[in-house]
Amino acid sequence: MVAVTETADQATVRQAGRKSLAALAAGLATKLIGAVAVLIVGTLVIFLTMKAAPGDPALAALGEQATPQAVAAFRVQHGLDAPVYAQYLSWLGGIVQGDFGTSLAVASGMPVGDLLPSKLLATVFIGLYALTLAIVISLVLGSVAARNRGGTVDMLATSLAVFGISMPDFWLSYVLIFGLGLSLQLFPTYGYVSPVVDLPAALYAGFLPALAIAAPMAAVFSRTLRAVLIETMSRSYATAARSFGLREGFIFIHFVLRNALVPYLTVVGLQIRYILGGVVVVERIFGIPGVGSLMVDGAFARDFPVLQTCTVVFLAIVLVVNMLTDLVCMLLDPRRTS
Amino acid sequence: MSQLQVKRRTLLQGAGALTVLAGLGIRPGETLAATDKLRAAITGYNAINTFDPGKASLIPEFYVIWSLYNGLLKFDKDMQIVPDLAESYTTRDDGSLEFTLRKGVTFHDGSALTSDDVKFTLERLLDESFASPNRSKVSDIDKIEIVDDLTFRIYTKKPFAPLLTFLTNARTGTQIVSRKSVEAAGNEAFGRAPVGTGPYKLVSWDVGEGLKLVAHDGYFEGAPTIKSVDIPLISEEASGVTALLGGLADITSTAPAADVPQLLKNPSVKVLRQPGLNVRFLSLNLQKPPFDDVHFRRAVSMAFQREAMVSAVIFGEGVPLYGTIPPLLGKYYVPGERTYAKFDPQAAKEELAKSAYKADEHEVKVITWGGSWWKRYAEIFVAQVNQVLGTRFAVEVTDANAAYAREKSGDFQIGVWGWLGMIDPDEYMGDIFSTDGWRNFGKYSNPEVDKQLEAARTTLDTDKRAEYYHQAEDIIMNDMPVIPCFCSNIHNLVRDGVDGFVQKPYSNFGDQFANMKVS
Repeated sequence: MVAVTETADQATVRQAGRKSLAALAAGLATKLIGAVAVLIVGTLVIFLTMKAAPGDPALAALGEQATPQAVAAFRVQHGLDAPVYAQYLSWLGGIVQGDFGTSLAVASGMPVGDLLPSKLLATVFIGLYALTLAIVISLVLGSVAARNRGGTVDMLATSLAVFGISMPDFWLSYVLIFGLGLSLQLFPTYGYVSPVVDLPAALYAGFLPALAIAAPMAAVFSRTLRAVLIETMSRSYATAARSFGLREGFIFIHFVLRNALVPYLTVVGLQIRYILGGVVVVERIFGIPGVGSLMVDGAFARDFPVLQTCTVVFLAIVLVVNMLTDLVCMLLDPRRTS
Repeated sequence: MSQLQVKRRTLLQGAGALTVLAGLGIRPGETLAATDKLRAAITGYNAINTFDPGKASLIPEFYVIWSLYNGLLKFDKDMQIVPDLAESYTTRDDGSLEFTLRKGVTFHDGSALTSDDVKFTLERLLDESFASPNRSKVSDIDKIEIVDDLTFRIYTKKPFAPLLTFLTNARTGTQIVSRKSVEAAGNEAFGRAPVGTGPYKLVSWDVGEGLKLVAHDGYFEGAPTIKSVDIPLISEEASGVTALLGGLADITSTAPAADVPQLLKNPSVKVLRQPGLNVRFLSLNLQKPPFDDVHFRRAVSMAFQREAMVSAVIFGEGVPLYGTIPPLLGKYYVPGERTYAKFDPQAAKEELAKSAYKADEHEVKVITWGGSWWKRYAEIFVAQVNQVLGTRFAVEVTDANAAYAREKSGDFQIGVWGWLGMIDPDEYMGDIFSTDGWRNFGKYSNPEVDKQLEAARTTLDTDKRAEYYHQAEDIIMNDMPVIPCFCSNIHNLVRDGVDGFVQKPYSNFGDQFANMKVS
């Protein structure tokens, strides 16, 4: 009898497992289809916006002294005389085959696909660097603040966070340049080293820009973590653990922190899109040759293929990050694994 | 559970390593040592599309082209035209120009420069199918005749006064290319793998980042002392300043006017400046009200103070302009205020009374864009004019590209505008004020002006030519199809310890690397 019951239980568990796995796969598939749809709509919106805006890539590529003949030749050469829908479709069709089109004005005549890898590396490197800094800072600040709730340390950490949230990144960039760069001469004020070429040098040169992007995020993260931790610490299971006589530190790490990580990571995931915004500004100030810089150049020069490709890349990053966040949260949730 | 601890520890270790790195880290100043290497930052621009002079049109492209190539002629430090690749030239009786090339000039690939390369270069520009943005510089050339390897003649359809200017190593596109290399590579590839006779060769080019040059040891004036030049492209002018102050650049191609007063007090930086070859004016659309009325145009021109504009817009880094020619164009420039080009509130109101339009009859949008000081320029103009005349002018901010497109298509009433880097008076007057001039955005037309401008273009005697321009300018400044405002200074920032840079008013930058010394 006992054995039979066990088998039935196992079957139920297995079935449930299969069900939840199927649900997960279906969920992922839906998200994927949604993501592709968002991508297509996104490119269409940016394409039409750019076409509606006044301006002409020929003027950017050929300069203010270009003759009307040269401008006309440029338009024909790059298919800009074709109908708008045809231009869009041919570009979209190219992307499916891995061809992102040819730059019109930012790097006239070069395939956008050739421009991307090194730019993407720079942006991803600075973005991850900033994210790491933000997470490290917030884990320390948030935990310390939560464990000393109402104390001086908490006050200090909270004030720092409010300060961090209120500072615009471009302003902070210049403050860092003047303070740590020009006055104390601790860090270079400008430039970029590829992490593939020389990782320590890349970390050194990238510190100020990464910090400028990280500061507002670190502030948001630590505020979130502090709030979630305080809430979790007052939960019944934490009280129960205390009643077993477990040490505070042990309870904090094993029960409180892990439970708090799910909402914390959700906020981290949501904030990653702000890295992309920060990257655009900070890349310009520090001269980092990333996708953000490329996008700004593409927009000013009316270089449609470059701008559209950068949009696709940014959109794709946001979508992938959102999906990853969902996945990580599902896996981290103690209710799932236990 | 233990995974989390490891994670935390790793993160903390990482942070610790970073702090150590920062503490012990290489100071930015340490990279200064090399004396045969120059870091010359192009600031305020970051698009370079080609290094082919025949296809080049943007200033940053020419900054580099000037070190990769030579022209037949060049400007010396006093803006006199002197020989470059051409050893000498004479005007023959039939009106053609005969040039003799220097002996022993070699291209970067080691081949010798001959008359045939010159003929190829100029004919390539003339070829309609090549669609060079610089074709207008040579469009009056009829043919090029080779006499021998080092001698050739240029025939023009009619006398063409600006030709000598257009054959210099300036923003002309007539720099001499190697026939062999262009034919081997094809036009498209040549733009990325240029072969010239200049003191430097292109080593590498990363789009949006910068490029590297190395000395051409076979250069006809001797191998340059500076063996390699790194040229980062820094799109934000302000970032160029911090790069220079942080010891990461030796020289910049521009400086933000607002920073100049502070930089002048900084002993570690030399600020080189002089009035540039540029004109900043208000472009008027003569086909739309209210600027189709000459009295209205004159009234507006007299309703603002140009001196105030210079001090408030470009922080004193320039001079007021009362005509169409920049001051550095020597005998072509006429100094001083003019009847309708000056600040005179009383006369402005009287002139407005003669106009068919009342001051506030039309709402007027002054087009400008966000970059640099252009927005302030429009705001200060609008504030003054509205106060003096009681008009309803307002600023409309767009971006530079859109503003340019609207000017060209005639979709504007008035906009801030200007031209820079041009070196011949014809470029400041011919294309802008001739009835069929392609830069005549406001559709100005006066047959008498057309006549004078055509005469100036075909008169080789410079004194007579100047006279034609003066007469044309007098008429133009009565008609006021554009409202001149000011001419701004050009700047280069040079790190202390870097010498030998000679600044020219067309913002020369790239043609000086071979003369420079770094210590």
